[in-house]
Amino acid sequence: MTAQVDFDDVKVGDEIPVRSKVVKREDVKAYADASGDQNPLHQDDSFAQMVGFPGIIAHGMFTMAHLTSTLTGWVGDPAALKSVDVQFRAVVYMDDTIEAGGRITELDPDARTAKLDVWVRLERDGVTEYPIKNSTAEVQLA
Amino acid sequence: MPLNTQLIGKTYDEIEFAVERDRVNQFLDAIGDDTPVFRDPEAAKAAGYADQVAPPTFITVIQTMTSSQVVLDKELGLDYSRVVHGVQSYAYERPLVVGDVISATPRLTSIETRRSNEFLTIESEVHDANGELVLTARSTLISRGTGGP
Repeated sequence: MTAQVDFDDVKVGDEIPVRSKVVKREDVKAYADASGDQNPLHQDDSFAQMVGFPGIIAHGMFTMAHLTSTLTGWVGDPAALKSVDVQFRAVVYMDDTIEAGGRITELDPDARTAKLDVWVRLERDGVTEYPIKNSTAEVQLA
Repeated sequence: MPLNTQLIGKTYDEIEFAVERDRVNQFLDAIGDDTPVFRDPEAAKAAGYADQVAPPTFITVIQTMTSSQVVLDKELGLDYSRVVHGVQSYAYERPLVVGDVISATPRLTSIETRRSNEFLTIESEVHDANGELVLTARSTLISRGTGGP
């Protein structure tokens, strides 16, 4: 399989389609079971409150999985994702709507690869937060 | 209390892991990804893969085991209730597929103090049963408030 995005059809500055989803408590519980990360910070509101949060937060890797699904969904082949380098910068609470996106910053015509700035953002009480920012990915285009 | 920087460079036990269909499907359910090459063995084979492809962050399943060796290392002195995940990076040689048997050997590569926090970085090279490199994972965990005097 090869990427479904052709190198000749993109340019620096292009943004990939944004994907959003609402983070539900049952999904975060399912993620704890699927990943094996059973930290109570992601499951037990009273524990989360004890360490200073209003309630449980999503796993950073749960949020990153949404970003990589957005990237592989755009490029059309999981093998086209060559690398991803993510910084977790803000927490995600239950019922937040997270939006993953990216912008092409660099193109290599010889290798037909693209580098992107990537992020996950959300709006909460009129404020924009970036659970993932200052982050990059590299993809192999067709 | 600061972390034990004497442990920088320490290599932990190799962990072996089989990429099983049920685990991949359970992971896909949790992240809500229904892409056919991840979900459907026939779609994956039609696309040239040996079997269902595991999504890019599926490797976190094995990292939970590799990182916990470091996190629970009594000589390191880490209080897990202070830990948050700061950075995660992956460099892929190829996607994992159902049926792969992989092994990962974590290494504590650095401990750095920035303001009152300590940043510890764990790197793992993941190889398949033929000894070929599949991916390299790097995680930075932040130990909040342990870097101060």
